[in-house]
Amino acid sequence: MAIMISLALILSSCSSIGVGEKRISVGGKNFTEQYLLSEMTAFLLEEEGFKVKQMNNLGSTVVRKALENNQVDLMWEYTGTALITYMKQDPIADPDKTFEKVKDLDAKNDIHWMNMSKVNNTYALAMTKEKAEELDIHSISDLGEYINDHPDELTIASDAEFANRQDGLPGVEKKYGFDFGAQNINQMDIGLTQRALDKGQVDVSVAFETDATIRAYGLVTLEDDKQFFPPYRAAVSVNKEVLKKYPEVEEITGRLAEKLDSEIMRELNYKVDIEGNSVSVVAYEWLVDNGMIEE
Amino acid sequence: MKRKKLTSLVVRCILYALVALFLFWSIKNHYYDYIFTNSSTFLLLLRQHLSLVLVSSLLAIVIAVPMGILITRKSFRRAEWVVSNTVNFGQTIPSLAVLALMISILGIGFKTAVFALFIYSLLPIYRNTVAGIDSIDENLLDAAKGMGMTRVQILFKMELPNAAYSILAGIRTAIVLNIGTAALAYVVGGGGLGVWIFTGIQLFDNGYLISGAIPVTLLAVGVDFGLRLLENKLISKGIRATVES
Repeated sequence: MAIMISLALILSSCSSIGVGEKRISVGGKNFTEQYLLSEMTAFLLEEEGFKVKQMNNLGSTVVRKALENNQVDLMWEYTGTALITYMKQDPIADPDKTFEKVKDLDAKNDIHWMNMSKVNNTYALAMTKEKAEELDIHSISDLGEYINDHPDELTIASDAEFANRQDGLPGVEKKYGFDFGAQNINQMDIGLTQRALDKGQVDVSVAFETDATIRAYGLVTLEDDKQFFPPYRAAVSVNKEVLKKYPEVEEITGRLAEKLDSEIMRELNYKVDIEGNSVSVVAYEWLVDNGMIEE
Repeated sequence: MKRKKLTSLVVRCILYALVALFLFWSIKNHYYDYIFTNSSTFLLLLRQHLSLVLVSSLLAIVIAVPMGILITRKSFRRAEWVVSNTVNFGQTIPSLAVLALMISILGIGFKTAVFALFIYSLLPIYRNTVAGIDSIDENLLDAAKGMGMTRVQILFKMELPNAAYSILAGIRTAIVLNIGTAALAYVVGGGGLGVWIFTGIQLFDNGYLISGAIPVTLLAVGVDFGLRLLENKLISKGIRATVES
């Protein structure tokens, strides 16, 4: 009993040490761009005297749940993902309207949206240049036609998320009217899909618009000619209470959102994924180069 | 003694009640719906899972049992530490790392997953084979020699039947572990029910999670039970009596 009480005292005194310190937790998903975004945000916030805890490497829905449950205070989220996956709404083609809609709907969840960047990390279907030319496939419509004419010939590499999300493969198949067939969908870790494509083990793979491997492996992305994929602009979603407590967070993350766009993001992803630099180094150097933090 | 029995009965009852409660809860929440609405995918994943386990376990048995027998022969004894350490090494690398390492050699998909599972299954089978043969009473072997049995006869009539219990136990352990580990095959695109487990994690969808995890669990329990029956069939009564006593 005595041990329990002393333990409780120690624990409570521990937490009281932190009083007066500015603490914030930043969440992130399980791919390079998200590691970079959360790392850069952490650097910026630390520069302003915050004590930052990062919770990385989570699936979209998991980190979103953590945000709703206040385990994560702030994260970079994509407008399309929020609208379709979390809020179960139909996609909207206009980025600004998507953002406004998401902001509106999330207000009742006590989550505030701000600082939409020009990073558009939408999904894309990729093929190798040779294969695409050989089969004369340039758009998703072409792909659908080919598959309808030659069922069970092409295979696709996808992670479990895209393969099962309504704004992912099932939605694409419905919109374009074709069906890969369950046995032709190879589900694997998202980091491997492009490698599988590059090695010729599959014919099509899911990719992100800002994916560095597209350039590195000489892949082509198929044109989304029926505009199925909505804009996936990266924006900051933050717990309302936390924002009220630290209003300066809006301005701090805004500096980052203002500068970033898809091209920069692809370059940074390239430095990590292809050149093999560490996320921290790439994030830090970019911030220093752009005069956002002191060396 | 009576008290011990009572405790075990109570514990068992509580466990069964918990399982029943879980089943009730998961069925009530429609967590198994995907198995029925998506049955073609489910059967595909189940088939992939079974072939992963079957191929890798068979490979492991075919390699590890003869290896264990060979290493217990007098002339090969010296090499035991090399083989044992190599096999041990296969088990000590985390299975995820084996998967990742093999990608660069075997590529992505079924082959890589089978290879990793195979490496993972070697140790329990090999170890138990060696231990089983080593545990045989020297006097028994002397008696066999005295009766004029050849080395081959001794192996098949004395050593193997006496070590069978241990060998089969090793195989059982390996296969049951294998069934659970095979869920990791998703990571390298090897298919199997792990796909639904990971879908469940990524989409935060308990339906996928449970539709994937429970069949894997049932598979492991069922196979364990089946192998135990087989064990009872294969091992002669006399030996079973000595082992169990």
